[in-house]
Amino acid sequence: MSEQEQRFSFIGNSSDYFVIWIVNLILTILTLGIYSAWAKVRRLQYLYRNTRLAGSSFDYHGTPIAILKGRLIAIVLFASYSIFLQLMPALGLAIGLIIALIMPYFFVTSLRFRLYNSSYRGLRFGFSGSVKSAYINFLLLPIASALTLFILAPYTHHRSKAYQHNNSHFGQSNFSFDATIASFYKIYFFVFLQIVTVVGLFALGIYLMFQGSWSNLPKMAIFAIVAGVYLLLIFTSLLVIPYFIARIQNLIWNHTALGEHRFICNMGARGLTWIILSNFFLIAMTMGIFKPFADIRLLRYKLEHLALLPSDSLDNFIASEKQHVSATGTESAEIFDVDISL
Amino acid sequence: MRNISALYYDGQSARQEAVTLSIHNGKILLQGDQLEREFDLDKITISAKLGSTPRLIHLLDGGHCEVDDHLGFDAMLDESGVSPPTLISRLENSWHYALAATLLTISFVLAMFYWGLPYIANMAAERVPDTLSLTIDEQVLDTLDDGLAEETQLSAKRQAGLSARFERLRKKNERPLAHLEFRDSDEIGANAFALPGGTIIITDQLVELAHNDEEILAVLAHELGHVKERHPLRQLLQSSVIGLSMTWYFGDISSLLAIAPTVMLETSYSRNFERRADLYAVTLLRRNGIKPGRLADILERLENDHTGHQSKHEAYSPIFDLFSTHPNTDERIRILRHANTTK
Repeated sequence: MSEQEQRFSFIGNSSDYFVIWIVNLILTILTLGIYSAWAKVRRLQYLYRNTRLAGSSFDYHGTPIAILKGRLIAIVLFASYSIFLQLMPALGLAIGLIIALIMPYFFVTSLRFRLYNSSYRGLRFGFSGSVKSAYINFLLLPIASALTLFILAPYTHHRSKAYQHNNSHFGQSNFSFDATIASFYKIYFFVFLQIVTVVGLFALGIYLMFQGSWSNLPKMAIFAIVAGVYLLLIFTSLLVIPYFIARIQNLIWNHTALGEHRFICNMGARGLTWIILSNFFLIAMTMGIFKPFADIRLLRYKLEHLALLPSDSLDNFIASEKQHVSATGTESAEIFDVDISL
Repeated sequence: MRNISALYYDGQSARQEAVTLSIHNGKILLQGDQLEREFDLDKITISAKLGSTPRLIHLLDGGHCEVDDHLGFDAMLDESGVSPPTLISRLENSWHYALAATLLTISFVLAMFYWGLPYIANMAAERVPDTLSLTIDEQVLDTLDDGLAEETQLSAKRQAGLSARFERLRKKNERPLAHLEFRDSDEIGANAFALPGGTIIITDQLVELAHNDEEILAVLAHELGHVKERHPLRQLLQSSVIGLSMTWYFGDISSLLAIAPTVMLETSYSRNFERRADLYAVTLLRRNGIKPGRLADILERLENDHTGHQSKHEAYSPIFDLFSTHPNTDERIRILRHANTTK
């Protein structure tokens, strides 16, 4: 017997979030960044606890001290990288290489930390992916993908998602992932077509406008072209990225199951484009102040287009043995906001 | 006796159970259809208020309760005299503090941009050992010689003559220590620039563009100003901090948005450095009996050279100039001309 579809929802509001965000920001500044770990916990607790599914909230249990340790390691690594890259490039590159080699390990610890510290109805999530597979999925495959001019990129994306979802648990129940590699290629192909069309039209326009006058372009024309390329970059990404996110998230979640329960994700490319486009302009016009409001708008949209299709009662999940993980991973992955949720 | 409704989870399964909560005699009582439990108030943790977020009560046995009835819950806690709101949650639940925090943050960011960061970068730049900055110079020169620039076409005599006049600009052993490097480069065009370790590179194209040696010395005096105040290192440090902060703040997609303001902020720093270097040049030139207007003369010609249609490297240099570190040249020329007429 099938149960009714349960939609995710966000019951918080952006003005509450703004207050929490700005107070946390000033406390972080006043404590020279140390409070940022506590701020992160409070911010995530606000977001998790206001995320509802079937009448219950999620919760976040990360401890600030664990996050602070991770942040310190991440800052030391990235600061030494960027400083030495400018002062002594050889040493800088060596540090960069070391960071690249540790990164997959940090991805795993970060996933473990994040999932273990997330709960729903009092049951913890968990992650049991091996470090070895992480090196294959987050280091070897991306390198192979770059070497093949990104022909392997959709395959790499598929493998990394399969690795993440197949190794995640909720209590004693396992997540599973059954999207095909071909379906990833299909989405990437359409995105590629869009980019080629936009960039091609732009290049043709430039060519026709300045035909025959290449050898002595006035400064203003070159300025216009450079500004045009920048605008094109923004517009292409503002139009193509939301389409890509919507399609790929739908694909990923529609092929993810938790035990016998399935997920339904029906984000619209148009709806998401509107959110991201308007957020972009509002952030630009408010010189960044709108950022927390923008974050909530985007989160709310994503959550409201995700639903769980239970196969039986949600009451039947059972807790698993609890385990401990270090916080180091999650922070190194976050200092540049590497979005591994895509 | 006040009763409020809540949801109870035992921590063993995902089963959701509606319960009523009440407090009496230092104990909290949970009553549901199939359960009745009691906990000492000092052995449970109640989550701090966080906006309108559901309140969580963590019980000793791993279970917890979710409460949506904020008013009722606060009143119940009040009546039984437990858990006053923590300082942080008081801050987070007030619009007054939020407004204050917003203003404080904006002032802090502005203060950091105008005073803090330049001050810190200056202190840090002073502490970078000379050997290290010289290593940077060598690396930049190596990169230049890898294709951007050729060996100079100037005769050894001409080079020696210019170097000698450059040395005489300053008193013997006067800081900063600096030396000249000549290069020929159509790509870079007429230009001179200072590196962190005191190396000043001057292109043949600039020597060619100058109408007399005093103009060349004026440019070199300006570059000496950069070296003296360690502008190259400071610019490097300041740009890194601005770039990192932008990436951190905007994150994912909006980092594209961050390119324009980052370039603008960095340009504003370098504009200031140009003004400072001009000031230094004016003093140094006057001391050597050279009119500061010489710098204005060659600046004007440089500007025309970079903008003009007749230049042979026009296809490249305008793009350089677009994000160039020498904006507002007109204003600089005006100031220098003014310095020329006043004593």
